[in-house]
Amino acid sequence: MTWRFGLFDSTFAPLVSTHWALLVALVFPLLMGGLAALFPPKRAWPVVLASVPLLASGGVLLIAFQEAGLLGWQWEIAGLILSLRLNGLSVLLLLTTQCIVVAAALYTPGHFRLTEPGPLARWLWPLMGVALSALSLIWLATDLLTLYIALELMGLAAVGMLMLSGKAPALLAGMRYLLLALVGSLTYLLGVALILGQWGRLDLQGLAEVIEPGPVAWFAAALIGAGLALKAALFPLHAWLTPVHENAWTPVSALHAGLVIKASMFMLLQLWSILLPDTFYAPRIIAWLGLLAIVWGGLLAWRTDSLKTLVASSTVAQLGYLMVAFPLLLGPDIAPLPRALAWEGFWLQLVGHAFAKAAMFMAAGNLILATGEHTLKGLAGTSRRLPLSLLVFGIASITLMGLPPSSGFTAKWMLLEAMIITQQWWAVAALLTGTLLTAAYVFRMFRYSFDETAPRHRYQPLAPGMDLIAMLLALTAFALGLLAHFPLELMHGGSP
Amino acid sequence: MLASFDVIEVLLALCLTGSAFVCLFDRHLVRASCFFFVFAGAMVLAWLKLGAPWLAASELLLGVLLTGLCFFYALGLLSPGASAPLKHDKFSHPWSRVAMRVVLALAWFVMVGAAIRYVIGDMMYSPAEHPLLLAGVLIAALALAAFALHRHLFRRLLAFNLLGSGVFILLAGVAGTSAAAQMLISVGLLVACLGTMLGALLIRQLLHLEGVEALGRDGKPQRSKA
Repeated sequence: MTWRFGLFDSTFAPLVSTHWALLVALVFPLLMGGLAALFPPKRAWPVVLASVPLLASGGVLLIAFQEAGLLGWQWEIAGLILSLRLNGLSVLLLLTTQCIVVAAALYTPGHFRLTEPGPLARWLWPLMGVALSALSLIWLATDLLTLYIALELMGLAAVGMLMLSGKAPALLAGMRYLLLALVGSLTYLLGVALILGQWGRLDLQGLAEVIEPGPVAWFAAALIGAGLALKAALFPLHAWLTPVHENAWTPVSALHAGLVIKASMFMLLQLWSILLPDTFYAPRIIAWLGLLAIVWGGLLAWRTDSLKTLVASSTVAQLGYLMVAFPLLLGPDIAPLPRALAWEGFWLQLVGHAFAKAAMFMAAGNLILATGEHTLKGLAGTSRRLPLSLLVFGIASITLMGLPPSSGFTAKWMLLEAMIITQQWWAVAALLTGTLLTAAYVFRMFRYSFDETAPRHRYQPLAPGMDLIAMLLALTAFALGLLAHFPLELMHGGSP
Repeated sequence: MLASFDVIEVLLALCLTGSAFVCLFDRHLVRASCFFFVFAGAMVLAWLKLGAPWLAASELLLGVLLTGLCFFYALGLLSPGASAPLKHDKFSHPWSRVAMRVVLALAWFVMVGAAIRYVIGDMMYSPAEHPLLLAGVLIAALALAAFALHRHLFRRLLAFNLLGSGVFILLAGVAGTSAAAQMLISVGLLVACLGTMLGALLIRQLLHLEGVEALGRDGKPQRSKA
């Protein structure tokens, strides 16, 4: 399992151009964020200019990986070894992150022009830069210290972004999130302390060789798992998620639901595959919780009256699909075929959901902005007046429901195949229930929007491009199903 | 067994635990913040005692100075013109909640204690010889209990800081004061300090917008609006 995460020695040393690309990918967002805090962009074109070098760095890293396979970097600072690695999965997640953050950044100027966001708005840019750098670092880092630093940077930046709107409910939700995230990080730190005390090292590759199953590994895995589950809003610890999204700005919600909580999920799977490679019960507990998450999140989204709560609760349910796949990835006696299928399905679901959820939050934000209403009932009549926003919402929900040929369909198909091979029928039932519930809450939302009898009220015109950006994200999520061979090849690549 | 304890270390451990207790359970918020200063000062000495001068320096800068100032800022004592300084925590807890939380904290205490006693055979600093470690376990348990129990956001922020300190002492006890451990603790200190700054800003802003009542709603929005 650990080789899939690229935890082995690379054959080739990275080229000079690759060093530069890495530097740009990690540091450039910080610089641009700082610059944008000084001179907040009023239009989208400065953002376009700033995103060109960033996307180019992602492209260079992709090409470098395709040419040389796994790449590794290592530095020694004051007796500490910090290391990064670039494997296919990191490239895929890095490109996803860059695309979604750039889309959110492009969306922001238009959003600000229409909403009069207040004096704090300029601080969104540096926080976005920090979040992007920290996320990129999480996909690349291979030691527990770098992962900890990146996780905390990302968490604090996320809290900062979510409370920028400055309204009292947003501040309360942000404060609750802050306290929970900080306690989660202490739990994680205690787990790392156990590992460091027992095995005396922090690099994942070395740990993967020396860790033996036993009480220390279990305790460490439990502590790290609890901390990360809190940050990832996994099922019983998800209650902070909805109020946070209810009050945040649209681009921030898109970033947070699309990427930030996925980073904790990524770390959880990576660290557990080292700490608990062959445990039977731990992944099953996660999977049972995932089953509950699918049902509970689906029901919450189905019963709610608020559009943003619907989208946020659907995140809880969609994370459930990833949790249900845990026993296929971790555990003893899993045949190679279902494990490979589950691995592909897991990441395709994660990436597809990231794009689709970002698009859905933007579409929901557009609808709320245009109608001025936060409730589902307020959507009445939008089918005629705002067809484009509704279309984006629809395309994104196709991916969430898992209808063909979206990436959600391909991912679920692979997960289903793996579950049928290993005869985990309850997981199959969970997946199918989730699909039905998703259809239920999406169609409920559409029923309100096609209501033609509503009293006509004025609609705020949207800035050009706001629907277009959301549409591009939704179409990417859709196309990842048709062109699934590209991400799948990346996930396979770099095997020893 | 007690005879083998270092007297200074015993005093430090007692001072840490005592100031943590007052800091966590005193309803008078200014006094609690003052005891936080005492606690953080004792932490500086504890790091020196454990042989980590760099950690002592960063604790002095981040823990005592910046975090302490953040608390006073949140109380509204630093800017004289600020609205309504915080004085007392007047929120009451139902008994069922108190009982639940105490049981929870006890369970955590027993779990962490057992984990450290039985899981790690050869720790850097054995708890039988170093009372600072026992103080660490106790502080972490008390702080978690306080974090779960209090509804006042300011007190939860205080409790989080003490929980962090307890965890850092535990970390040093389990993993020693090697370069990696010191680095982890420094990052932890920095994160705690940044988090406290953010929290203090939030508390001030909430007070400004909604008044004292907003700090006790456990993160839930106002009922009357719903």
